[in-house]
Amino acid sequence: MLLEVQHVRKEFQNRTLALTDASFSVSQGDFVSVIGPSGAGKTTLFRILNGSLRCDGGAILVNGVHFESADRRTRRAIQTTIGTIYQDFALVENATCRQNVLNACLPDMAFLPAVCGFFGKARVAEADALLDRVGLADKVHEPVKNLSGGQKQRVAIARALMRHPALLLADEPVASLDPVTGRQILELLRDIQQDQKLTVLMNSHNLELSQEFSSRLIGLNQGAVVLDAPADTPAEEILAAVYHRQEDQP
Amino acid sequence: MTRSSGKRWLRTLALFLLLLAAARFTDCSPALFWARRSHLTDLISAMLPPDWGYAPRILAPLLATVQMSVTGTALGSFLALLLAPLCAENLHAPKPLRWTLRLLVQVLRSFPTLILALLATFLFGLGTFSGTVAITVYTFAILTRLTYEDIESAELAPYHALCAMGAVPAKVYWRAVVPGIAPSYFSNVLYLLETNVRHSSILGYVGAGGIGLLLNEKISWLEYGKVGMILFFLFLTVCVIEGISGLLSQIIREERSLSPLGKRLLTGAAVLLALVCTLSLQPPDFSHISPRAVQAMISGLFHPDWAFFFETDTSGLGYLLLETVCIALVGTCAGTVIAVPLSFLSTPCLMPQLPALLFRVVIMAIRSVPFLIYGLIFIRVAGPGPFTGVLTLGVCSVGLLSKRFTEAIESLDFRAYHALESMGVPLLLRIRYAVLPQLLPALASAVLYRFDVNIREASVLGLVGAGGIGAPLIFAMNHYKWSEAGAIALGLILLVWCIDRLSASLRR
Repeated sequence: MLLEVQHVRKEFQNRTLALTDASFSVSQGDFVSVIGPSGAGKTTLFRILNGSLRCDGGAILVNGVHFESADRRTRRAIQTTIGTIYQDFALVENATCRQNVLNACLPDMAFLPAVCGFFGKARVAEADALLDRVGLADKVHEPVKNLSGGQKQRVAIARALMRHPALLLADEPVASLDPVTGRQILELLRDIQQDQKLTVLMNSHNLELSQEFSSRLIGLNQGAVVLDAPADTPAEEILAAVYHRQEDQP
Repeated sequence: MTRSSGKRWLRTLALFLLLLAAARFTDCSPALFWARRSHLTDLISAMLPPDWGYAPRILAPLLATVQMSVTGTALGSFLALLLAPLCAENLHAPKPLRWTLRLLVQVLRSFPTLILALLATFLFGLGTFSGTVAITVYTFAILTRLTYEDIESAELAPYHALCAMGAVPAKVYWRAVVPGIAPSYFSNVLYLLETNVRHSSILGYVGAGGIGLLLNEKISWLEYGKVGMILFFLFLTVCVIEGISGLLSQIIREERSLSPLGKRLLTGAAVLLALVCTLSLQPPDFSHISPRAVQAMISGLFHPDWAFFFETDTSGLGYLLLETVCIALVGTCAGTVIAVPLSFLSTPCLMPQLPALLFRVVIMAIRSVPFLIYGLIFIRVAGPGPFTGVLTLGVCSVGLLSKRFTEAIESLDFRAYHALESMGVPLLLRIRYAVLPQLLPALASAVLYRFDVNIREASVLGLVGAGGIGAPLIFAMNHYKWSEAGAIALGLILLVWCIDRLSASLRR
């Protein structure tokens, strides 16, 4: 089992209970979607998984190693094996595509070369190859601010892949893109996942796309897992379980 | 009248009354100014024509002045870039460190370069080294503050994303935050370089090297032709520096494109210039410095004279600070009144090319003259006292204010103006409803900023006997009365802090 989430709980300082009891597991090579209404705790869960946030209870195991209770060094080491892509891309707008992808190498570099931007030929070649893989071979030297939303998300995917992640977290990767571009991005993500036997955990509002691209769905509602089913479960059942739509039906 | 517009009128009235009171307090008298206006031109005509034969003697000290400003700006801005992230709230440096650094920046910010230079001469001896230290400290204080404010309003999503990958924050800062704040950082550095060239031209007055020494000498020997020549050279220098900085800021704003090789060459040249200036710096002269004097200075500064601090009569600190605030307030207003028409007249998009250029040169000339010269001119008109301070600060404010105003006018959006024009709205109403609403916030923020600067500048007016807190501070320092200087410094720090808070709340 690559990722195990056991009874994770998170309460914010303003007493909001974002996660009450989230438990599920993801095995190597899965494409899993996390769905749920706004405020269900999806983004909080992702931020805990990539180490931006600490949970208040429960345990997270990555490849059998406790992520939450690990010391700083182990935690950093685990973090470097998790790639994340974001709804708002989180790219350095003024920097070029290549520089943004190379930024993913920062954890393994010494301070001085990192600051001066000496990444070495091998890393630059790899970054260019990844940009080629996501279809941006001609934009290597283009500042990110000149790109379209879809192209920015491609750069973000290349940056995440630069880490050779075992697990890729995709936090609403297509929410700020138009439907056609969104579908292209997900197709790219699925191709890469199948090529490299990558594990993808995607967080999405779009049930239709989630069903089409992932193999399994996890439903969150009010901070707890309320559904864990194969992706081909009928949509009505999912809506009833996750979004509590049953009262609307005749 | 609605309630909010009534409130606005009330506020304007209150501001006006405050200004009137401040003007009375500083003995402002336009009638006196008008009656003695002929004295204004005496000194100027004595400087014309400049003594051309004197030019070769000016070059070496002028170069030393430029060297001080380049080195000081380079070192100060480098330090600022290193330490600003530790001051920014959203990058989560340890709290005690953050607050200590912020306090340091706030304290250093309270003093003009001249006072810092005077202090530096007591530590490092006379000469350009002290001047460079003063400019470095000044640049560091101003730029650290501007930079950490930039960081606090910067987009930090990429920073958090890279931290989540397991990279150390220090590395991520350089790669993900610095590129975002770089354009604004470099504009600030260029602006500070311009300011520093002007500031460093007077540092010679306190023995901190550069052309100020020469200027002081020629003024005291009444050799006004030579003074005119020095001023002419200063004007040329300011023109060259502003030309270069204008070009560079166009590159920074990406209005002018540059090939990657060109960019690299430019960066290399800038680094080389900074290195050459720094390495060729005259070393400090410790021969006249005794450790005991330094010890007395430090202990005096940290043990302010509380009796003087709390004194309430006209020789007490409170009165002097109030006078300083009033001088700055009235001076800023006077500067605004002069700067508004000048900036409209010097904007190429409103005026024909030639007159616009002419007014630009006039503004540049006003900016390039050190404030001491203005002080000397106005002291002949208004005599020693706060009114001279008001006049001096007024003219000194024109440079910065008209620069900011011109920028605001140039970035105006004229679509609404043209829409009103096509509806047949008369000119004055078009300006009232389509231009002023866009312009006023920019004007107000420039005026507030200049007021903030003027409070600090007002403390050097004492050098020419123009009232305020400056004269007692410089006297106290020159006579080694360090506990009195400490009290004045503390008062100044508190005053600048209060004005800071006030202008921050006004901005909101």
